[in-house]
Amino acid sequence: MRGQITRRLRGSRSRARLSVVALVVGLLGPSGPIGPYDIPLYGTPKAPAANGHGRLVYADSPFGVALTKDGHTVYDIQITAAALPAPSSLGAYSTYVAWAATSDLTQWTRLGSVVNGNSIVGPVDLNKFLLVVTAESDSTSATHAGPTVLHGISPSALLQKFLTKPAFHGIAD
Amino acid sequence: MRLALVAAVLGTPFQIALGQQPPSAPPAMPPGMSGMPGMGPDSSKTPPAASPAPTTAMPGMAGMSGGAMAMPIPMPKGMPMVPGLIGLTPPVASFLPGAGVDPMKLPVVKPTEVARLKNGDTLDLTAMLLRRTIKGRTFVMYGYNGQTPGPLIRVPQNATIIVRFHNRIDLPSSVHWHGVRLDNRYDGAPGVTQAEVRPGDSFEYRVHFPDAGVYWYHPHVREDIEQAMGLFGNMIVDSPDPDYYSPANREQALVFDDLLVNADTLIPFGKEGPDFALMGRVGSVELVNGESRDTLRAKTGEVVRFYLTNVASSRTFNISFGDAPMKVLASDVSRFEREQRVSSVVMAPAERYIVEVRFEHPGRYALVNAVQAINHFAGEFDPEVDTVGIVTVDSAPATPDFGSDFAALRANAAVSRDIDRYRPYFTKPADKHFTLTVDVSALPLATVQFMDVDTAYYAPVEWVDAMPDMNWLSTSKQVHWAIRDDATGKENMDVDWHAAQGSIVKVQIFNDPKSFHPMQHPMHLHGQRMLVVARDGVPNRDLVWKDTVIIPVGSTVDLLIDASNPGAWMMHCHIAEHLGSGMMTILHVDPAAGPPAK
Repeated sequence: MRGQITRRLRGSRSRARLSVVALVVGLLGPSGPIGPYDIPLYGTPKAPAANGHGRLVYADSPFGVALTKDGHTVYDIQITAAALPAPSSLGAYSTYVAWAATSDLTQWTRLGSVVNGNSIVGPVDLNKFLLVVTAESDSTSATHAGPTVLHGISPSALLQKFLTKPAFHGIAD
Repeated sequence: MRLALVAAVLGTPFQIALGQQPPSAPPAMPPGMSGMPGMGPDSSKTPPAASPAPTTAMPGMAGMSGGAMAMPIPMPKGMPMVPGLIGLTPPVASFLPGAGVDPMKLPVVKPTEVARLKNGDTLDLTAMLLRRTIKGRTFVMYGYNGQTPGPLIRVPQNATIIVRFHNRIDLPSSVHWHGVRLDNRYDGAPGVTQAEVRPGDSFEYRVHFPDAGVYWYHPHVREDIEQAMGLFGNMIVDSPDPDYYSPANREQALVFDDLLVNADTLIPFGKEGPDFALMGRVGSVELVNGESRDTLRAKTGEVVRFYLTNVASSRTFNISFGDAPMKVLASDVSRFEREQRVSSVVMAPAERYIVEVRFEHPGRYALVNAVQAINHFAGEFDPEVDTVGIVTVDSAPATPDFGSDFAALRANAAVSRDIDRYRPYFTKPADKHFTLTVDVSALPLATVQFMDVDTAYYAPVEWVDAMPDMNWLSTSKQVHWAIRDDATGKENMDVDWHAAQGSIVKVQIFNDPKSFHPMQHPMHLHGQRMLVVARDGVPNRDLVWKDTVIIPVGSTVDLLIDASNPGAWMMHCHIAEHLGSGMMTILHVDPAAGPPAK
């Protein structure tokens, strides 16, 4: 049945659909569509070969789905990182630290240490956030100070805005 | 370019012809109290009334300008309707309870009464029409014994009671004893364990309670209507151990629900099958014990043990009691291995939790449901806080003072010992793999187009109905929710699933995030108990026996089923409209010698 719908749409609007697909692929990057828990991590000029992946998992909770009292979902993040250079190669640094930052970069929360391979950091309870890995001199530092080597965005940051679309002009509050 | 593209897609006129009514048309309802035809296990196929009725359209919708609306669904504040959906109605006739009945001749709903029963006792339970007033508006609804919630049945563990059920509503019905590991023939699942109980008929249930805890009873016929209209009640099963839970000054059952209304009118239900099939019916008014603003009183320092049940069709709650400290003791079928301090209780449809709350200071504590909703049109999260009750704490101190007991978190060694014999099976390969998914056909084109482009992010849990227009227009005629057996590709009632009595069955269920409309599913297994041993590969560190488990979008849960109770047992999504759109299968627990006793 799903195929029938797709075929019908293709018949009437194949070019439009192709444009949408191209746009979404472009938005998500070369790794293709991602799931609701996936965070592709990209290297920076400080560490161009570095790459990785974050996966959100629910923080420990008797309810299975972990929430704060005001309803924010609480996740731990399983990070798989590769090709991180030695921190000391970037300066006076000894470790890598993962941070969750609000989209305006005004609030940063230290999530934990990251190494090449697998790390589990968290928790994070932001609706939308950036996941940033920086080189630091101290893994317990409360503020980030070193260069960024990996970055990505939470899946929720991909929420699309439709209210500004012409189709809704004049009917939205 | 992208803006123009989306506008072009969404602005397309619909190509699907659906009935339309003028905005001023009054709601039309079919005659009620009529006999009903038979029903198989797919409850969506039962027409709720003998006579057809025109599709209902009603005026008025918040957040819209202009008057050309035939949309009765209250839209979230600031949320526009998708332009191409304006004027459409679901392709089903409408139904409301008690059509043609003078509401003033119906009994007014009564508060819940406690029915304390002992082994061998009998209870008469009558499903009936009644009159309820909610937020100043009076509706014809259903109730058991004139009560909503129905009588709170309180029994000692291991008791067996007889319940003589009498159906006096205008639909066929049954009673399912949710979570109770009873004799299969009394499970109350028409088409599987019994025939439906037709209007005017009766059925006698023998209900045995092997496990202490809080349970609930409800119909298993057109739950989207009957449960939503008030047919539900609690059962509390008391352990013989007086120290089973940490001590409390008082106990209180709280039943969480919601109701979908617009202005002075209940939103009608689909006659031939459920509407709101995509997301389930999410109410516009949240209710506790049938009231829109429950009021409780407590004393300073009082420890209250709350038995919490979510009977809503689709809504998952996140409940807190102001700043009062809380600890969770138990869930569906047992206590936790270890009590935990929590700030709120996340409760999917059909789940139960037992918590204790200490009201340390005099004053008012708001009973709140707080979630982060999503505004799909703004692309933003939208905090939603609903106060569903108030606890007023007097300055008089509670006696005795259980403060020190409350401060301690117990480890329940008996629960851990019970689970110990299952631990060797936690990591065994799954015996069965299911995928939860959905197929759709003939939905309004604008719905399909919008869903196709709004795919960059799926919320793991939909806390509110952010797109009620699209949801309302989807029915069980167009939406086919599926539990798919990965090994065979078979779905729902076609799945051949057997286990030997006494076996320990590991099931892995994956909620496919790439389906047309991914959504969380509270999966319920009848008549057995199960452990959630892992979620997304992460082992569960504090186990509790469950009968209902929430599976968010994209998540995988590993369940270990204690297949100890012989018979044919349904497993289904407890979102009533998903169940009514096919999302159910059967676990056959085969007795060691021969078929189950008849």
